[in-house]
Amino acid sequence: MVKNDLKGCFILIAVAVISAFLFNQFSPFGIAVFGQWETSKGVVSAGSKTQSLNASIEINHPDIIKQIVEKKQRIILDVRPTETYNQGHLPGALSFPLMDFDQMVEQLLTSIKKASPILVYCSSVECTDSHTFAERLKNMKYENVKVFSGGFRQWEEKGFNIEKNEE
Amino acid sequence: MKNNFTVILCFIIKLVLGITFVYASWHKIEDPAEFAKILYGYALFPGFVINILAIVIPFVELVAGFSLMMGLFPRSAVLILNGLLLGFILVIGFNLLRGHQFDCGCFSLASQTSTASNISYLIRDGLLLIAGIYFYKASATAS
Repeated sequence: MVKNDLKGCFILIAVAVISAFLFNQFSPFGIAVFGQWETSKGVVSAGSKTQSLNASIEINHPDIIKQIVEKKQRIILDVRPTETYNQGHLPGALSFPLMDFDQMVEQLLTSIKKASPILVYCSSVECTDSHTFAERLKNMKYENVKVFSGGFRQWEEKGFNIEKNEE
Repeated sequence: MKNNFTVILCFIIKLVLGITFVYASWHKIEDPAEFAKILYGYALFPGFVINILAIVIPFVELVAGFSLMMGLFPRSAVLILNGLLLGFILVIGFNLLRGHQFDCGCFSLASQTSTASNISYLIRDGLLLIAGIYFYKASATAS
């Protein structure tokens, strides 16, 4: 009986594995077979079958970010929720939460020129919201958008200056 | 089966386990990228297996759950589901013991799971596992 049970397990698992890969192949939500899960290489994500995160727009060095912030070389956009932004953010960063993108898009278009250099960040290297936001900016013809891959967590861990909004 | 009580109990277990797993598989199949991130958050799996697990596990749940409900290889299906439950219990339990919590702080990912909800998942999975073992043992005595 146990032998028959194991044979049944093999059949069911085979059906599941074949269905899983077939579905993943044809589903619009399918993911890559191998994702990018090494934090040392930038923002981690499962990645889609057709495209992965655009690593070329990432800046993976907090010291370079510090320089950008201190010399005000880029407009800094914090895309985390407003409450999180208020608790602490990079100095000079503007709050444009990804979740409020549709409501804030007009304000964004009027306050930031298309040619302005922009730096986007979210919570950490485990968060892809900055990439989502950067992609939307790119689609709106913003030409010079970079992502701080380490996000606020790395900035905080480095002990760099944090600005807070008192409510 | 030994008696009517066992028959009725096995029928209920079959339905509960089957429906639970088919239902649980659905949102993972709909959003494998999010499920992959949850697996990554457990900080237990090497990077190269995370996506493969995120693609395969939901379908193992779906196929075994459906098979159990339909009565196709029910003992094999329950054996697979018991294996999955044991795996979930070990993963959640291990992270609870070492105090590991994952919070990517992302808008797109579900909010951080608290210790209390992890304990409730452990209890739920433990009860389902007991039911699954009972089903497997009871069905062995079927004539």
